[in-house]
Amino acid sequence: MLRHLLLGAVAAFGFYILTSAISSFNDFRVGEIAVYAIALAGLSLLTGTNGQISLGQGAFMAVGAYTLGVLMTHTHLPLVVDVLAAIGLSGALGLVVGMPATRLKGPYLAGMTLILALGLPRIADKYSTFFGGDQGLTVNSPTPPGTIDPQRWLSWIEIVGAIVVLILLANLTRSRFGRSFRAVRDDEIAAGLSGIHVARTKVLAFTVAASCAGLAGAFLGLSVGVVNTGEFSLTLSIYLLAGMVLGGAGSLVGAWWGAIVLVFMPGWSTSIANSFNLGSAVGANLALVVFGLVLIVVIMAAPMGIQGGIGWLGRRALSLVGGGVPAPGAPTPRQEGNEPVGSIPSIPPPAAPAAPARNIREQS
Amino acid sequence: MLDVEDLSVSYGAVQALQGVTFQAREGTVTAVLGANGAGKTTLLRTVSGLVKRQSGNVSYGGVELTGLSVENIVRLGISHVPEGRGVIEELTIDENLRLGTLWQFGRQERRSVLDEIYELFPQLAQRKRRMASTLSGGERQMLAIGRALSSKPKLLLLDEPSLGLAPLVTAQIMALIQELARETRLTVVLVEQNVRSALSIAEEAVVINLGRVVIADTAASVAADTELRHLYLGF
Amino acid sequence: MSLFINLTLNGITNGMIFAAVALGLVFIWRATHIVNFSQGSMAMFTTYIAVTLLDRHINYWLVFAAALVAGLVMGGVIEVVLIRPLRGKHALNPVIVTLGLFILLEGLAGSIFGVGNRSFPPAFSQAGLTFGHSTIAFSHFDLFILAAVVILMLGTLVLFRATNMGLRMRAAAFAPEVARLLGVRVGRILTLGWALAAVAGSLAGLLVAPTVSFSPNFMDLILVYAFTAAVVGGLDSPVGALVGGLVTGLSLSYVGGYLGSSLEPLGALAILMVVLSARPEGIFSRPAPRRV
Repeated sequence: MLRHLLLGAVAAFGFYILTSAISSFNDFRVGEIAVYAIALAGLSLLTGTNGQISLGQGAFMAVGAYTLGVLMTHTHLPLVVDVLAAIGLSGALGLVVGMPATRLKGPYLAGMTLILALGLPRIADKYSTFFGGDQGLTVNSPTPPGTIDPQRWLSWIEIVGAIVVLILLANLTRSRFGRSFRAVRDDEIAAGLSGIHVARTKVLAFTVAASCAGLAGAFLGLSVGVVNTGEFSLTLSIYLLAGMVLGGAGSLVGAWWGAIVLVFMPGWSTSIANSFNLGSAVGANLALVVFGLVLIVVIMAAPMGIQGGIGWLGRRALSLVGGGVPAPGAPTPRQEGNEPVGSIPSIPPPAAPAAPARNIREQS
Repeated sequence: MLDVEDLSVSYGAVQALQGVTFQAREGTVTAVLGANGAGKTTLLRTVSGLVKRQSGNVSYGGVELTGLSVENIVRLGISHVPEGRGVIEELTIDENLRLGTLWQFGRQERRSVLDEIYELFPQLAQRKRRMASTLSGGERQMLAIGRALSSKPKLLLLDEPSLGLAPLVTAQIMALIQELARETRLTVVLVEQNVRSALSIAEEAVVINLGRVVIADTAASVAADTELRHLYLGF
Repeated sequence: MSLFINLTLNGITNGMIFAAVALGLVFIWRATHIVNFSQGSMAMFTTYIAVTLLDRHINYWLVFAAALVAGLVMGGVIEVVLIRPLRGKHALNPVIVTLGLFILLEGLAGSIFGVGNRSFPPAFSQAGLTFGHSTIAFSHFDLFILAAVVILMLGTLVLFRATNMGLRMRAAAFAPEVARLLGVRVGRILTLGWALAAVAGSLAGLLVAPTVSFSPNFMDLILVYAFTAAVVGGLDSPVGALVGGLVTGLSLSYVGGYLGSSLEPLGALAILMVVLSARPEGIFSRPAPRRV
């Protein structure tokens, strides 16, 4: 706990230095990274640590963003209350969706959450007077104290939020609940036999992941200044999956790597397309291609993602320096052997989801 | 002739077979005996290609089997009736039998092969179109053996054919195996827990314990070795 | 009353299309126990190939056949290149890979063919049939949709029940190891399963394209409705795919007609949640013994 707090304090200081040194636009980028890191960390916990796949993370972000937007438009509560409501409502929806989901195996859950990602934003279209229709709902960013740049103030809030969330999640994964999450991921039947309440554990993970998405969605609304359905397409959910897989499933540090890629990749791919004169159609679609390839290539070639690769390199370096260090191999491996002959061979932990990128293409 | 030489197999950290060597001669029944978990099933699965070996060699009629796929090993005339019989319950009896013939015979030939099998097992002939799930244990074993024979194999690997069968049915099956070996020059490798029945029809016997061959000798001398029987075969 | 009739007719037509895509999902589920989330994108891609050929004034039916063949090849290649290496890995891995393929194909289609909406000419008139003075929401083209999917279903039935290849496919689905021991080249059968699934998907794409303004994501919703249909039908039953398609098509048509079309996806979600809560393995599935 203390270690996590210290790490958090160091990270916060680092970000303070960083934001002091960069422009307002880059403040926006840094804030966005923090926002996606929150969403990715929740997804990473759900998929990497607990073994449930969800394509609904983007939909839960929409719930958080719209909760904030509706409360800001129709009430005059303090921002903190709006944000807490966003977390609470998306968490509650996560609970409702998570309950039937506990009985579902991977592909069924993926399909169900896929429909959620496609279907939920349409409620905003259906009740457009309440949810602002195509224009969406306008969101005011918080007023900073003194002469601080509003953009910088907001990104500080987002960074602090992300650090708090990641500290909480880090403690959660090291607690009794975290052990239950992993036990359920590795073998539901065995976990149940050893006294873990499997359904409750899975619902808890789903609720935590949805709450993270709700907070991320609310922050995203504050950053962008407007909440509309175009932000929360199915593409966002799949991008989140890609960012999680790329960062390293089940790794909270990996969530930051995924978030960085999610924030910068769309811009990079557009400028790459432009610099090679590939035309605007390619420019608008290259990010889809890249994230599609990321999902495929990482799963097939490097299921541990970036953070897993860093861990592996780190151990290699240490062993070269001369410590008696574990053999190079899968980071966070599951133990081999001791399995009854004829059982399914031991499998790597499932990959985690990826970070989002926005406004790539409107989902019809 | 099946020639297994210095064969080792492991599942992760578990050494299932270690340096196993034995031969099965053409037209004979070779019994592979030993306690539960001795590695008997692994031995058959390695011969038919389902399990990858760690080291050593398996050859049949001078052809090296290691490295060949299961499907190609079948095409050399090696038929494996797996433990628990492997009858496909969702298919009819006729479909189960036909499956074994698809890779080699034309339509005409297939019909005559199936007729031979039905002649051998009249109980099956009466119920060609019924689902295999409706069969009793003994009938399933007959279907499994019949299906293995429908590909006209030269080497038959049988994994625990007596499992779960009444003594009378076991005796019938054993008699059939012996007859097939004698009359059609079929080579049989018979994995059995039912040591007495197996030794009664086998010419040769291989006793395996914890993945190693304890003895490979004639069935008669294994049956006569009281100490060996007490130590490894439980009677 | 006439609204109800029209919604019913519309539901049947849509249901047949869902059934065709669901049949593809069933083919792949039976062969490899994978839900292919790229099924819709693959169909979208072959439909773009078709419209590109039509732009070059190639005969309509030749193009139709070419799109189906393109699906066949695409399905087979994807199985060999992307799916086969994942055999024996955790069940989430192929799910994630097919999702990657899902957006990869949409991105490629957008890059190659452009993101703008295109139109795809129908094979037959889309004007509603007229009886006396009233026109119903059912056209010659809808009739063609029905006929094409019925032929697809009958073809599947004949393939599975009456051919040796179908026998091999069933054996490989029910008991892959035993099938291999009987000389069935199971690897090739799985490739064939993917290839045939992609043909069913391509057909669905060609049938849907004229009814929508089509863009790289025009199959997204069709895919999730087909997934709903396949789950209702039990994921491993071709007959279940047909029944599930009709149930889903009709339900969503009523939801769309009476409550508003933007609620259709949530209607599908509701169907899915009800079915999965009652029978987590689907309604038509064989109760499979679960290996512990």
